[in-house]
Amino acid sequence: MGAHNGEDRSITAEGMRRDFGALHAVDGVDLEIPGGRIFGFLGPNGAGKSTLVKILTTILNPTAGRATVAGYDVQKQGGKVREAIGVALQDVGLDPLMTARELLMLQAELFGTPRDEARKTAERLLVTVGLDDVDPKKRAGAYSGGMRRRLDLALALVHDPRILFLDEPTTGLDPASRAAIWEEVRRLNDELGMTIFLTTQYLEEADRLADEIAIINKGRIVAQGTPSDLKREVGDEVVELQFASSEDAASADHALAAVAPNRQVGGGELRLYFARAAENVPELVRALDGAGIRLQGLTIEQPSLDDVFLRVTGEALEHEVNEAGDEGSASPASSDLDAPPGNDDRAEVTS
Amino acid sequence: MNDILLLIGRSLRVAIRQPVAILPNIAISVFFLFVYNSGLSSVAELPGFQGTYLGFILPVSLVSASVGGAGLAGQTLVKDLENGYFTKLLLTPTRRLALIWGPMVASAIILTGQVVLVMLLALVMGLKVAAGPIGFALVVVLAFLWGMAFAGYAAFMALKTKNAAAAQAATFAFFPLIFLSYTFVPQEYVTAGWLRVAATINPTTYVFDSMRSLLNTGWDATSLLVGFAVTFGFATVTGIMALWAARGVTKMTS
Repeated sequence: MGAHNGEDRSITAEGMRRDFGALHAVDGVDLEIPGGRIFGFLGPNGAGKSTLVKILTTILNPTAGRATVAGYDVQKQGGKVREAIGVALQDVGLDPLMTARELLMLQAELFGTPRDEARKTAERLLVTVGLDDVDPKKRAGAYSGGMRRRLDLALALVHDPRILFLDEPTTGLDPASRAAIWEEVRRLNDELGMTIFLTTQYLEEADRLADEIAIINKGRIVAQGTPSDLKREVGDEVVELQFASSEDAASADHALAAVAPNRQVGGGELRLYFARAAENVPELVRALDGAGIRLQGLTIEQPSLDDVFLRVTGEALEHEVNEAGDEGSASPASSDLDAPPGNDDRAEVTS
Repeated sequence: MNDILLLIGRSLRVAIRQPVAILPNIAISVFFLFVYNSGLSSVAELPGFQGTYLGFILPVSLVSASVGGAGLAGQTLVKDLENGYFTKLLLTPTRRLALIWGPMVASAIILTGQVVLVMLLALVMGLKVAAGPIGFALVVVLAFLWGMAFAGYAAFMALKTKNAAAAQAATFAFFPLIFLSYTFVPQEYVTAGWLRVAATINPTTYVFDSMRSLLNTGWDATSLLVGFAVTFGFATVTGIMALWAARGVTKMTS
């Protein structure tokens, strides 16, 4: 596949552990990621995602365990690993006094690219990430958050890596910047066969991009598979009820306890899990009527990764697209990219 | 070697973009030269004093320029650590040595420029270098090496503390290094026992001696050898300290 056909693009980990004092940030992770895939590593803040990325990219030594990236041992062959990988960490590291071209050229030259070639690489990548029309004299310190992310992605690509690590590449980005990065990630994987290891706390990001997903919680992988496999494992259909207030939702949660044993309440919404959702809707509506609770909306959905996450961890993963948005305060419906996972499967029923 | 050159070039470029980090250091060196030379020049009239007071006080100004200029290496490293660019560089195949040496050599180059500027100013003020043009060049080389030694110390403090304020505070070593020595008058006129002890321990004393011999009295092999040996020794120790601290920061095994 692509320019590096035949070269090892896999990632493996065996009993990977990293402690910080008494905290087990990564607690016995095993991975087997074949080359050429987009692997999504999903988990809440503090789950151990970034620590694992730092270990796999040779920045941090593990406390125990063994890992290989591109066929090289991350501890014993760090130099070889670094030649094979591109990395864009969550904390974007740019020298604020340098321009984008200077940063790209220096990075390329440090990877051994001759100067003329490095200049061409810089120009090509600026086009790729859509920064070619920025004032060439503008220094990285004056870039917006989205521009910094895009430049950081370009920096990770200067040496045509076989494997790309992206640690929460779209956290805090506006929908347009997020869409641009998603598109580029897809292209790199499709056209160049690059293995992409992507951590995210956005369920929809993992759902849309990843061929395979691992869910990490408290340093351990709690579920792994393709997005559809994982959702299938949850097995049920979901009825989502919308209320005017969280108090109404809480009352409904109480009122429907007998009708729907599996429930999740959050804000003004109540999610109910059934084997066949539609059969239960009349009884739900009757029960709510009986309790005098006014329903504002009702939808039947396929289970989402939200539900998978809830099932395997017992905790809800927040829907960050709306909540994390430093720049993106758009509602889920404002952009197709922001729509919740499983949106295409959604069957709307008005109440 | 190429990675070191690239990183030296990058540190120089960035340093030039923030002249505010360089100019005060030049101003302090020039201030020392003017104020002490005009205020204390009668010291040269004491019996037994060799050469001019300008040649005697100039090394204080030069060491001030080199110690102050070397602090730039620490500031560059702290900024890189704070804004994450150091990690970006760590993710390249660049040698760890190059990551530390880039800012160190760059700051030594900048401080050498400052030293040459101050020396040219001294020439304008009437300085006659006893050891001639080669002596002039050796004074510059000594200042460069002393700057490298202090850059190693600044890099060590930066990598250990990872904190701009702490790294800045570390440059206060500047004061004992410069003033606990035979800074303003020759050794024979210093009577305080504690200062004589401090001056003997202080490696700067031997740098002053070497520079003063070149500027005021001509070629003195013993003074030169001791001066260069102390400077190399100090630079080696601080260089090893910086690399050791770098290992801690990078957590690298290869």
